[in-house]
Parts: sequence; structure tokens; C-alpha cells
Amino acid sequence: MPSADVVVIGAGLAGLTAAIAAAESGARVLVLAKGHAATHWGPGGIDVAGIPAASTPRDGIHRLAGLPGHPYAFLGDDVAAALEWIRPHLAAEGVDYAGDLDTPHQLVPTSIGGTRRAAILPAGQAAALSPWAAGERLVICGIAGFKDFWPEAIAASLTRERIWEGGNRPASVTPVSVALPGLAARHNLNALQIARRFDDPAWRTTAIEALARAIASVPGSGGRVALPAVLGIREHAAVLAAARDRFPAAPFEMPLVPPSLPGMRLYAALRAALIRAGGRVQIGEMIERVEHDGRRVTAVVAAAAARTYTVRTGALVIATGGIAGGGLVAERDGRLTEPLLGLPVEAPPADQWLAVDAFDPAGHPLEKAGIRTDAELRPVAADGASLFDNVRVAGSLLAGHRYIRERCGDGVALTSGRRAARSLTAVPAGHAAEPGSE
Amino acid sequence: MTIAELIMEASEEFVGYSADECLKCNVCLTVCPVARVTDLFPGPKYVGPQAQRFRTGRAQPVQVPGIPFALSPDVTVDYCSGCGWCTSVCPAGVKVAEMNSQSRARMKAGKRPKLRDWGLGQTDLVGQVGVLFSPISNWALANRPIRAIMETTVGIHRAAPFPKFGRRTLQSTWKRRQKRRGTTVIPGPDKAVVYFHGCSANYYEQHVADAAIEILKRNGFETIIPPQVCCGLPLISNGIYTEARQRAHKNLDVLVRYARQGYRIIGTSTSCTHTIKAEYREMLDIHDDDATVVANATWDICEFLLDLHEQGKLDTAFGRLDEDLPYHAPCQLRSHGIGLPAMELFALVPGLRAADMDHDCCGIAGTYGMKKEKYPIGMAVGAPLFEKIRASGATEAACDSETCRWQIEKATGTRTRHPIEILLQAYRAGDAVGAEKRGPLAPAGT
Amino acid sequence: MGESHAYDVLVVGGGATGAGVLRDLARRGLRTLLVERGDYGTGTTGRYHGLLHSGGRYVAKDALAARECIAENRILRRIAPASIEDTGGYFVATPADPDDYVDGFQAACIAADVDCEEIPVAEALRREPALNPGIRRVFKLPDGSVEPWQLIESNIADARAHGSDAWSYQRLVGLERDADRIVAATLHDERSGSLTRVTTRFVVSCAGAWAGQIAAMVDVTVTMHPGKGTMLIYNQRMTDTVINRCHKSSDGDIMVPVHTVAILGTTEQRVEDPDVYEITRDEVAALIREGEKLFPDLGKMRLLRAYAGVRPLYQPPAEATEAALKDGRQISRAHTVLDHGPRDGVENFVTIVGGKLTTFRRMAEDTVDTVCAKLGVTEPCTTADEILPNQVPGKTYWLGHRLADHEAEGGGDANLLCECEFVTRPMLDSFLDGHPGCSLDDVRRGTRLGMGPCQGGFCTFRVAGVVGERAGHAGAADVAELADRAILGFLRERFKGTRPIAAGRQLQEQWMISGVYEGCLGVESLIEREAPEVSREVVGAQR
Repeated sequence: MPSADVVVIGAGLAGLTAAIAAAESGARVLVLAKGHAATHWGPGGIDVAGIPAASTPRDGIHRLAGLPGHPYAFLGDDVAAALEWIRPHLAAEGVDYAGDLDTPHQLVPTSIGGTRRAAILPAGQAAALSPWAAGERLVICGIAGFKDFWPEAIAASLTRERIWEGGNRPASVTPVSVALPGLAARHNLNALQIARRFDDPAWRTTAIEALARAIASVPGSGGRVALPAVLGIREHAAVLAAARDRFPAAPFEMPLVPPSLPGMRLYAALRAALIRAGGRVQIGEMIERVEHDGRRVTAVVAAAAARTYTVRTGALVIATGGIAGGGLVAERDGRLTEPLLGLPVEAPPADQWLAVDAFDPAGHPLEKAGIRTDAELRPVAADGASLFDNVRVAGSLLAGHRYIRERCGDGVALTSGRRAARSLTAVPAGHAAEPGSE
Repeated sequence: MTIAELIMEASEEFVGYSADECLKCNVCLTVCPVARVTDLFPGPKYVGPQAQRFRTGRAQPVQVPGIPFALSPDVTVDYCSGCGWCTSVCPAGVKVAEMNSQSRARMKAGKRPKLRDWGLGQTDLVGQVGVLFSPISNWALANRPIRAIMETTVGIHRAAPFPKFGRRTLQSTWKRRQKRRGTTVIPGPDKAVVYFHGCSANYYEQHVADAAIEILKRNGFETIIPPQVCCGLPLISNGIYTEARQRAHKNLDVLVRYARQGYRIIGTSTSCTHTIKAEYREMLDIHDDDATVVANATWDICEFLLDLHEQGKLDTAFGRLDEDLPYHAPCQLRSHGIGLPAMELFALVPGLRAADMDHDCCGIAGTYGMKKEKYPIGMAVGAPLFEKIRASGATEAACDSETCRWQIEKATGTRTRHPIEILLQAYRAGDAVGAEKRGPLAPAGT
Repeated sequence: MGESHAYDVLVVGGGATGAGVLRDLARRGLRTLLVERGDYGTGTTGRYHGLLHSGGRYVAKDALAARECIAENRILRRIAPASIEDTGGYFVATPADPDDYVDGFQAACIAADVDCEEIPVAEALRREPALNPGIRRVFKLPDGSVEPWQLIESNIADARAHGSDAWSYQRLVGLERDADRIVAATLHDERSGSLTRVTTRFVVSCAGAWAGQIAAMVDVTVTMHPGKGTMLIYNQRMTDTVINRCHKSSDGDIMVPVHTVAILGTTEQRVEDPDVYEITRDEVAALIREGEKLFPDLGKMRLLRAYAGVRPLYQPPAEATEAALKDGRQISRAHTVLDHGPRDGVENFVTIVGGKLTTFRRMAEDTVDTVCAKLGVTEPCTTADEILPNQVPGKTYWLGHRLADHEAEGGGDANLLCECEFVTRPMLDSFLDGHPGCSLDDVRRGTRLGMGPCQGGFCTFRVAGVVGERAGHAGAADVAELADRAILGFLRERFKGTRPIAAGRQLQEQWMISGVYEGCLGVESLIEREAPEVSREVVGAQR
């Protein structure tokens, strides 16, 4: 049966990060995942600690680290290093990230006319990161017939002071909509279809011209223009360059409902980085069970047609996501379970999972549910005793953080993924590496 | 319940219920090769779990005699090629491709099948007649005016890749061979395997069968070739389920006798073996014990050889093959869920630089890409793969599925072979070296 | 105060009963106004099970109710085919159901004129393989499923064609009583806040569970015993046939396929206020356990949401026994027309209580007979005679029609705003054209938007976007606030139904959607935390 030094279950940010780190240290790594989840749903940024109270992301990390049970308590010091380590990998695959931990968060406008806190965004969204100059305009440029982006509604909402928390904002927000070649006649039109067209140089040129003309027709000059996140997949860098070159305003993408193009680009870059480092990814693997001898996991068994597919392994990283990713299953009888190893799950009782109001300001108690680990990401029992020697948990499956509400999910994923791998491939705990030395 | 439990149940119960798992997240749409290239197909989420809620009678097995078919609201589901990528990447376990196949069958139920669809499902009939009248049949299929007429009348695209009929069927060759040997005692299941040859090895590619038989022999296994009919996949793909079930039961009746005695059933077509392993139950709703026993006993040949290797029992005396070998993993192989055994076997051959082309689908999708209205879609789907293979400059390529081989060969001009043909070549290269080393008079095997 | 209006009759309550009464009055020549505090069908009608009764559920205990049901079943199929799906119904005897009831069932049906045919269990299982394979006997009856909002709109349309009128979002806030007559009513426009006075010769209260509140406005006592019934909505139709347990009615003993979903019901719990109730996880668990007796795999099927409706149960004072009050099921479902003249000294006031949706037309007929008798109007009732507007005789609802219609035009996702339920842009435009100022929940009722597995996750903001596009630059701020309320209100309302059932795949769906809305779309920034959020989605709200 096939074997690996490290099997990673889950091909999200945490899983792929762990896999890359393990592969780089020479381990034979195999990533097994049932499918794609959060990577293809999220906005494609790297959210580290976007809480309102924080002055900067670094300050946010510090504050979150002070919350009882938050993974940043033991991961916080490594976030900067993890970020500096992953960025070149992504850049090598054509996905550059702008921003840092010491510039204050910016309120970035969204595709429903709201705002969200961000600090580190891919190049395609980076123009949204700088503060608005006096008199600076924002144009919202939509594509006729595309149902996931509505410029009038977005602009109407963003014109309101309170959306920007009464602070720095554009002087004007104006919508415009453009018909792009060939789209009107289509039966099927979604972000993916448009992005694929942008990948085609001939179509791209015509489209960029049409967009540029439309933006130019809006009164005013300079400023920025927000577009739906459809600017190419494989050729995104070229599309972005063309847009920056031709548009009379600095362009940035607004992420949309799934499938998220920025998320898909991030996934593609991570996957390519892993393969480059010698690792393997197999999507479509439904893990049935994990075999172990009590303290050590020995093999991972996936469902196959008319049988199972077993991979012997020296170590296991579980990065299966939280409730959204399927790594935690909420049973009808009120138990929250971890399906692979049956790890004990830290969670409130079922009748307290959800607040009554969908938008309760305190959030939902269930958000913090997950697997409790030690500082080396080994899953532990309620008394703190480590449960398995060669297992690590990474990402949103970890207990104690609210990965959406605190906007810390990506920071936790990145840092825990990297630490999990290093912990397994015997980089001593607490080893303080020089940034950039990896 | 966990996804694993659901999948295991779903393979025994109702594929249609897996629509319940859909999160509407569109991940399936991101990988669909057909939606990628044509506006005629709205994508797997739409025709799968989304449209499923609008279909009546979905809880019933498809096309069961005695149950009136439910009126179908579908049209565009016909453009699903059945490649199975959607099912693979769904994070929630929706059996999208399987659901689409059933919906297509329901759509066609109650109407007489198009001659073309019916014809494409009659692989045994076409095979027998074609072999009987080869080389005329080969000439006809290569003749342009005749192909043009076929396109207008029957709807098979004039450029659709067709293999050449052999001079005789594998079955008849085998029977002759057995006759010559006289009655023999069949060795036990640890020394023999049953070969499910499928239509391609029977009518078109006997050399693949020969390679399989020789490799199995080298590794200590005699081959048993029982009477068998088409696995039924072309009928399933064209929505003709009642006939597909007839084929299935015929095969199961023969194969189960061997399977119950412990014989493994080896196939050289990833499509045939997947059909037996999974589709008899999931698509045709055949849930009896026989179907399960046979499924559990069925192996793809590379899967089998790799398993031997993992037990330390594979003959690894491969000689050196100094070549670049592009490899295409067929869709039907991925559905097996066994990784890429051919690539792992290639890694055992010194000097062989096999490269997985990492492309989603070659576009033929069984009989899909042969149809007039679908041929351009198939070619567009496969275009990046063909480009990669041509650009590699390799003299040959490898692929485990027959229709993929024909598609790739026709589109690229590059000879495309089954992985075991490559392995046999490597074995022979090893023999030659061994013979050299041993000198001309020493017995083989030293 | 706003303009004054004069009508012959004022009908209070825009559920099926009110709409039926309106139609009947209009057809008999009385110029009538119907007023409804919310959108039509947001009381009990909009929260009911979706069942077109054959009467089979009543044959043993309440033969009168059974006869009424089957008679109206036949009439509705004739006059409102587009609102009805001819699913047929099975009454199945599970191992848990006592023989004595089952054995007498067919005879009781025949005695009540309810078509009943016993069919082999094997046939029933072939047609509906999800059924409990242990069932012992199966009877086939003419149950069906009903789409209530379309039914109401058709009745109102017919009434309008006969010179009468209907206003929604007009809450009755006062009735002026002069000695033994009601002379006028005051209406509060729930959207604009303005008041309107209407004078009338007669008042008919069709307020159902709220009838007590209406009567109290003129110091009349009508004691309602609102009975909450919880229902569970399943993502797919595991059955295309209505399935009843062949036994004395109890909780969770019926599954009704309604459009794309299947609804399991129900429970019975007395509540004080028809607007205030909650659904607990335990209640949901109990319902599922009962449902599993019909469908053993029910626990594995995708539960979308839970909701509750409040039955307008009325017990005349003489029969208000302890036992009857405790077991709401004992109270007769047959309806009662209360003539407040002899009863309470208000001559021109009538209340109709009790009943069920299936018999709404009959309830209306009985009510309007009383009204006409008092007004000296001799026109006969014609509501059973003529098919409702824009319907084709015999053409009942087919589940596949929306998909088939869309596919016939080439299919595709380009103009699908609600993908789960195949609501297209033209459909939405048409609805918005016909219902200016409507809420997203109104859109939901009118088009089924947001009623699929994603529960509005993908379509909510699209609708807000369309509204914005239609409004253009004009009134941008209003559009923005409208969009906020629409998005936030709609999502809040959908969440209410998710919360009691939160588990498994639906919780995962909810988590993914809220992750997208909060993480990617920044929905939190739309919420005005300083001012308390008054969601329009208050009608039928639960706490």
C-alpha cells in the first residue's frame, strides 16, 4: 500500500501550508482531501487579526492572544514569521500579497456595499488598502448581465457615512455598468465564465478598452475603481496589469459569493508551491477512518470504489476545517464530533450553540468550538494530556478562536499549519528562526 | 452522520438523496470540463442537485419495468459527459455525476432511444459484425463519404475516433487456444485470475489482452477468460438502463461463480472495471449479494500489479526504457479512488520519465465525444491535453482507458498505449539484458 | 387622517378565509374591502402544512368534517387547479398503528363519501421506496398539496374583477361602534404610518387565531384557543405522494410534498398569543422520531428549517371541557360562524373561526350566507361554479414546470437570481412591478425565492441589487436603507427557522453562508447598532 512520511487531511490554507513546510524539510508528503471548501469560498486575503479594537494587525494578534483559550496565545509570536515564509512561495506562483502587520487595518468596501477590515490582500485587491485622499472618488464598475455585482446598490450603500464608521472614506461613489463583448447572448454567465474570458488575450483587450471607456465617462478623474473579482484566473496578473495600465482610476477587485476567484487563485498557488516542493495532492479522497495503535496513527483509510484505499503514514496533520469545512460535524442529538479520530471537541451544549438573533453582536457561542491542543498542536484531552504522539491539528478546527468574526482565520491557519509541520519534522519547539532563514 | 458514512450508504441506497448534501457552493462548477468550454451546459450544480429538487419519482430506481416513468423536466443534463470531476471535488459528498446519469436516463425513458444512442450502446453487436466483416468494416469507417453519411443519418461525427476491428475476437482466439490445450484443470485463485477483457480488447485491441496475459503469467498468474458481454457502460451513458441491467446480470451470473471461490477479476479497461465496481450498484440499483461479491473481487490491472508490489511479489526485473512518456489519467480511473497506480509502476522502470499531464479530461468521455453535437465540445475539452502531449515531443503516450487512447491518438498523432504495454516492453528489455548477461546458452531464470 | 372610503362590507384578515369571503361577497354584488395587516397569507394560511385534505384524517372521529373536506377537495380541483398538485395520498398502517382503527378505516371513508382504495403494500413501496418497508396496509385517497398564496391571490383577483378591493399592510387599529352597529374602521398603513378611515355597513372578521383581538375592539368576547403546530421542511421530496399514518391523529404523522420540499407535521401546543411562540430542539427531535415511523431514513435527510403556524381553534363556551382544552385535537375543526347580533348585541358583525384551508370556500359560503341574510341580499353563491382567473381547467401544478420552462428557453444560470428555486430575473421584475414597496419576504411568498437549501444565502443580495438597479440613482439613500432591511431582515427571518434544527448539513450551510456574508461581504457593517433594528419581518415572528 502507498505510504508517506506525513499525510495531511484537508487541502485548505492550513493543510497546504503544513504540507509545504513538511515537504521542504524533506518529508514525503501526501495531502488527501474530499474536495474544496473554504479556499473556494473566502475572499482570498490573509486575515490575521481584523478586530475593531486593534490599531494594527500586530496589535490585534496581541489582543486576541490575551483572550482565554485563543490559539494566538501560543501561536501569536510566530505569525509574522509564518507570513514572511509563505509570501515568497505565493509570489513565485504569481500571487503577490500587499500589506503588513504594522499598518493599521483599512476598511475595504465590499460587493454588497458594506465594508470589512483588511490589512493583507492579494495584488488584485491591494488598491483598496490605502486611505482615501481628500476629494478622491470611487467608481463602482459592474458588468451588464452579471448577477453577482450590482453597482447601483453598492454605490448607494457606500455613499453613507456610517458604513465607513464615520471615518475616512471616498468623496464620491458612482456606479457605472458596461456591456462586455459576447456576454449578453450567453445562457450561462457567472464569475468563472467571465474570468475565463479575461484569460483570453484577444477578448481581454476589447473588454479592458470597454471598461476603460466606461470608467472615463464617469465625471471626475483619478481615484479608484472597484470591479467584481472576475479579472482572470491563470492570467490574472496580466489582466490586472492591463487594467492598471488602461483605466483612468486605480482598479481593485471586490470578492463575491462563491466560487471565489481570489480564493481559487490562492489555492492554485499553494498547490503549485507544494508540488514544486515535491509533495502530492489527491482531491476526491473521502477518509473513512484513521488507524492507530493507541498513541500513534499508522495509516489513513479512504473510501474507494468497492474497497478502501489505505496510505501508511508516519504522521498525520488534521486540517479539515471547522463546521463549514466539514471537520466538525453537528449531530442531531446535540453532539459535536470530529469524525476522523473522534477527538474530543470543546463546544457549548446544543441549546446554546446559536444566539437567538442571527446578527447578535456577541456572535454565536458555537463559533469557538473546536479541538483543544497544546502549543505544539497535539490534540489534548480535557485534562491537557496529549492524545496522540504523531498527530497535529491545524486551522479553523482549532478551538478557542472565531475565525470569521475576529478575522483571524488565515493567520491561525498559516501559523498553525507551519508549526504543525515543523513540530512533526522535528524542528525543536521554541526554536526561534531568523525571518527569511527558511 | 459523517460524509464517509453517507457515501457508503449512498452507494447502496439512493444516489438522488445525496442531493441533500449540496451546500450550493459551486465548487463542482469550477472543475467541470464541459461547462468550461460550452454555453450549452449550465454546469454540474444546476443539472445535478439543483434540478434534482424539481424531478418527481426521484426516489424510485430508474427505468424499472412496471413503474411508469415520471415526466422529466430536463434538457441540458444531456450535455454532462459523466467525467465525474464534480463528484470528486464536492466537499459534501454529493454524487453529482451519478445523479446526472440517472436524470439523463429518466429523460430518455418512455421515448424510443435515438438510433445513434442505441447503436453506440450495442458494442457487442457492432464488434461482432465489425470483426466478421473486417477489413471492409475498417475501410468503411475510414472512408470519408461514408463517415459523412453516418454523421447526417446516425449522428456520429465524421471525425470521431474509431479504432480498427481486429481479425478475430479475443473470445474466439481464446477458445481456439483452449481447444488446443485440451481440458485443463483451472489453477486455484492464488495462481489464476479471471480476465474481464471488455469490448475494446475483444474486438479492437487484442494486443492489450496479450500484454495483460503475459504480464500476469510472469507474475505467477494464469488467466481465465470466461464468456462475458459488454459491461453495459455505453448503455448506461446513453440512458438505456433496462438493457444495461440485462448485460449486468449476464456478467454477474458468470463472474460471481469465480468471485465466490476467491478469484480476482482483472480488467484492462478502467471504464469496465469501474462499472462493475460501482455503477452496477449506484446506477443500475443492483444491490444483491452477487453484485457486491463481484465488485469486491474486481481490480484494475495496474491496481493489481501495484498491490502485488506492495506485498513484495511483483517481478521487478524491468529493463531500461529511456524515454519521456506523457501519461493521461482517465476520468474513470479517478472515480476508482485508487490514486494513479500506473504512475507508481512506471516509477519502477529505470530511465522511464513518465509525466502525469495533470489535465482534467481528454473529451471523449466514453461515447460522448463521438456524437455529432458533442464532438466539438469534446475536442475543446481535450485541447490543452493534446497541446501538452504534442509539445512534449514524445513518441508515445500512455493511458489506461481505450476510448481516451483513441481520442488522444487521433488528436495528437502520437501513438497511445495502455500502461501495461509499456511495462511489457520494459520486461522484455530486462529479458534482453538478462540474456546478454547470462550468455546465449544459459537457461532463463538464472 | 387620510381620505375616507365607504364600503358595503369590510373583511378583516387576508388569509384564505378572508380572500374566499371577499370573492363570494364581491360575486354577490356587495362592494367589499379586505384589509390585512401584513402580506396576504401571513397568518395561519401561510404557515400551514400545504395539505389538500381528502377527509381521510377525519373519517373516524368527525364525519361532518370529512364530508366537508372531500366535497371541497373536489370543488377546489375544479376551480383552482393551478394551486393544486394532484399528489394523491396514502394512509399507511405502520407497525405502531393499532388494528382496530385500520380495520374500520375503509368503511368509515366510504360512509363519508371519501374515495378510498386499498392497494398492495408492494405497489406502494415500489412507487414510494422511502416508506417504511414494515407497513402492513395501504389505502389510497385523493389527498393533494396546495400552494396557499397563489390561491389567495386568485381569489382576490376575481374579487377585484367584480368591483371589490383588497389592501395589504393595513392594520386594523380601531372599530367605531355606535350602539348596536359598527360604523367605521381605522386602518394604520404599516409601511407609511398614515391612518385611513373606512365606513362600512358590515364587518366580517376572518382574523382566525387573532379573532379575539378584533372582537375586543367592539367589546365583544371571542375566546380563541390558538394551537401552535410545528412543521419541519425537508430539502427534497422523499415522497411524491402525501403520506398519512392510518391512526388516530397525533404528532408527526403526515408528510406532504409541497413544491420542491416535503413538510412533516405536526404538533399541537396551546399558546397564549398567536404572535409569540418558540420552537425548541426537543420538539424538533420528537417530530423526527415520529416521522421515522413513516420514513426510516428520515434522520439522514436534509432538514431545511422548522416553522410553526397557529390554528384558529374555537370552542363554543358550552363545550369548553378541561379535556377538550388540553387536547387541542379534540376541538372540532369544523368551522363556526358567530353572528354577533344575537350573541353580543352588535348587529352588523360576524366572525368566522375554526376550519381548515381545504374548506375555506365552504367557510366563506356559510359566512357570506349569514351576511347576506342579514343584509337582505338574495344573490346565490357562485364561487363553486367558476374557475378562478388565469387557470386552465384540469391543469394542475407539476413540480417540474419551472425547470422545464426554463430549460425550454435554453436553460442556463445567467438570469437565475434564486438558483435553488429557479426564480429568474423576469419573474422577479414582474413581481416587483405588481407589488411596489414589497418586502423581500413578500417576494419569497410570491416567487419562492430563498426557500431552497441555501435559504436565501445566494439570492438575497441579488434581489437587493435588482431593486437598486431599478431605482437607479434616484433616491439612492432610500434604496440603501431598503437593501439593508431587506438583506438583514430576510437573513434574520431565515435564521429563525434554521436555529431550532441546526445540525448536520443545514448548520454547515448556515455556517458557510454566514462566513461569506460576514467574512467576505462585511454584512455587519450594514447593521445600525445604535438604533434598535425594527425588521419589517414581524408578522408571524417567533421569539
